[in-house]
Amino acid sequence: MIATYANLIIQGILLGGLYAIFALGLSLSVGVMRFVNIAHGDFIVLVSFLLLTVATALHINVLLALLLVIPLTFAGGYLLQRVLLQRVIGQSVLLPLLVTFGLSIIVQNGLLEGFGADTHTLSAGSLDTSSLHIGSFYVGVLPVATFVLAVALVLGFDWLLYRSRIGANIRAVADDVAAADLIGLSSVRIYAIAMGIVGVTVAIAACFMGLRMNFDATSGPSRLLVAFEVVVLGGLGSLRGTLLGGIILGIAQTLGGQIDGAWQVLAGHLVFLVIFLLRPQGLLPRY
Amino acid sequence: MRKTPAVDRRSVLKGVAASGAATMLGRPAFAAPRTLKIGLVAPQTGPLSLFSEHIPFVLDQVKRATGGNLKIGSTNRPFEIVVKDSQSNPNRASEVASDLILKDKVDIMCAFATPETVNPVSDQCELNGVPCVSNDAPLEPWFFGRHGDPKKGFDWTYNYFFSADEVIHAMLAVWTRIPTNKKLGVLWPNDNDGNAFAHVMPPPIKEAGFTIVDPGRFDLPANNFDAQISAFKAAGVEGVFTVTPSPEFTVFWNSSAQQGFKPKLVTPGKVAEFPPGVYPFGDRATNFSIEVWWSRFHPFSSGMTGQTSAELADEYEKVSGRQASMGLGFRHALFETAFDTLKRAHDLDKHESVRDALRDMDYKSVVGPVNFKKGPFPNTSLTPVVGGQWRKGKKWPLELVIVDNKYAKEIPTGGEPAAMT
Repeated sequence: MIATYANLIIQGILLGGLYAIFALGLSLSVGVMRFVNIAHGDFIVLVSFLLLTVATALHINVLLALLLVIPLTFAGGYLLQRVLLQRVIGQSVLLPLLVTFGLSIIVQNGLLEGFGADTHTLSAGSLDTSSLHIGSFYVGVLPVATFVLAVALVLGFDWLLYRSRIGANIRAVADDVAAADLIGLSSVRIYAIAMGIVGVTVAIAACFMGLRMNFDATSGPSRLLVAFEVVVLGGLGSLRGTLLGGIILGIAQTLGGQIDGAWQVLAGHLVFLVIFLLRPQGLLPRY
Repeated sequence: MRKTPAVDRRSVLKGVAASGAATMLGRPAFAAPRTLKIGLVAPQTGPLSLFSEHIPFVLDQVKRATGGNLKIGSTNRPFEIVVKDSQSNPNRASEVASDLILKDKVDIMCAFATPETVNPVSDQCELNGVPCVSNDAPLEPWFFGRHGDPKKGFDWTYNYFFSADEVIHAMLAVWTRIPTNKKLGVLWPNDNDGNAFAHVMPPPIKEAGFTIVDPGRFDLPANNFDAQISAFKAAGVEGVFTVTPSPEFTVFWNSSAQQGFKPKLVTPGKVAEFPPGVYPFGDRATNFSIEVWWSRFHPFSSGMTGQTSAELADEYEKVSGRQASMGLGFRHALFETAFDTLKRAHDLDKHESVRDALRDMDYKSVVGPVNFKKGPFPNTSLTPVVGGQWRKGKKWPLELVIVDNKYAKEIPTGGEPAAMT
């Protein structure tokens, strides 16, 4: 009995790593750049389809395709911010919300048109099924790799934002655009770079989501919901909080599934609501 | 000034039209016989589109076998098949069926591919008094899903396929021959099939001595089966019976491998019926067991082309370059039975007469005998089901081998049931 629950908690923590990767990009844009990207989930799904296309067209492993796609998504994020989002940012809270909502609809319908309504998964060859045997527990190599990557990304971006020069610039622009412009920082360029970084996290999330879960043209909004819960649970602006939020949601869902199959998703939402009521500022808030 | 009385354009056209009609009326004896219309509702797009894979091939066969003319008695009647797409949506299926009846005025309707397509089409035909023949929809959901009364039956609609009861017994025949601890884990989602299975399947499974480990209905799409796998492992489950769409089964089967869960028997319903459903797993699909409702080994032949099951499968594989699967036999048989009905109808201009021919059908098709008076319920006919397993093949990476024929001895087996390795 104890072994069963211990195993479930381990699986939940590993799933949490994936959720944290989902939420990382949203955490950066909401917490640091202060705007809500409604299309975050749809961008992840869009890049999953891109990875699928690249991997099948070039007959290469998805992980290799990811390396090719990351520069593209960085450029995509950069251009999106520069060409479109920059025009609406800072004027009102509502405008970026509406623009990204529109993008979400465009992406979903575009994918539906281009790829149809079929459900897809990505495959990384033998990595899909390889397993590690530790004591009496079996864990998949892929979930472990995802979790390790999640921790590395959180620590890496934490360093980037709070220890590096570019991070200081991004935070300066986020705190006060006018003052940053006054001391010679190009806020337009820095916002665009930040969105490019979000694009990189989107590519990584798309790859590991596609390896572990199914996706179809309309699965973006459900991904957004997970990412939102994780960001709010962890506390706005805190990347370490995002990791913690992901783990809590992962454990809640896995344990909920143990009670009854139908409880899996519900348990995640309930835990989110309870923590949100008790600690509306999140678990590790920065602000 | 004097006006010339001019003949305006409109009255000239009217006159021409009237004289045209008069000419036609005056020469009934020389008119060609009316073209018969066969309506077909098929899920050509959407999640059920896998079911329509064989339709272009079979339509082409029909064209070659008949040349567009049906030999009825001593005359040749031209016919036309009007195909409409249900888009895998029951409401749409109902809509296009009604179009076929009211606008195209079809003489007989055909439908196939799950109760989601067949039931709404059958309902429209029943409502409008048009004969309808269908297959590839299990008999219980077709008959009881449409609130059929076993005493009265239906007036216009007829369906032949397997029954859920028949399938579970065919599968149990395979499962009991594979040595396990008889603990069966099930993945039944919260959808039509999952809920129906949870309702119907447990009694016969328990009767056969199996214990069911059921972690509960789960919502689709599902992305995480850790809880279910850990429940199966905790209960010492050695057999798994799922009825999930193939993406969900992929997640389950990959996670099972990651977490060291290795059941001895696996029956992935809705997945292992289709070659594209098992290919992605490669060797890990060896010995997946599944019910078989048609194969190249079925000892029946077509009344339309004269081909045996094996010849039909070979021709399909040669033309399409794809492995023949169970649906092929039923697509072919659907047209066989429609043509047989039309050929035996006394008066092709009366729906009642066509219906009577359909009702009295006693026909040997490529999927087995079809006789609507023998079915377990009125208006239905049961086709045979045996148990099969996927094994490494010669021509294709994986081939379906019949391993048990307890309920249809006429279908030869090609091997013995074996546990997963």
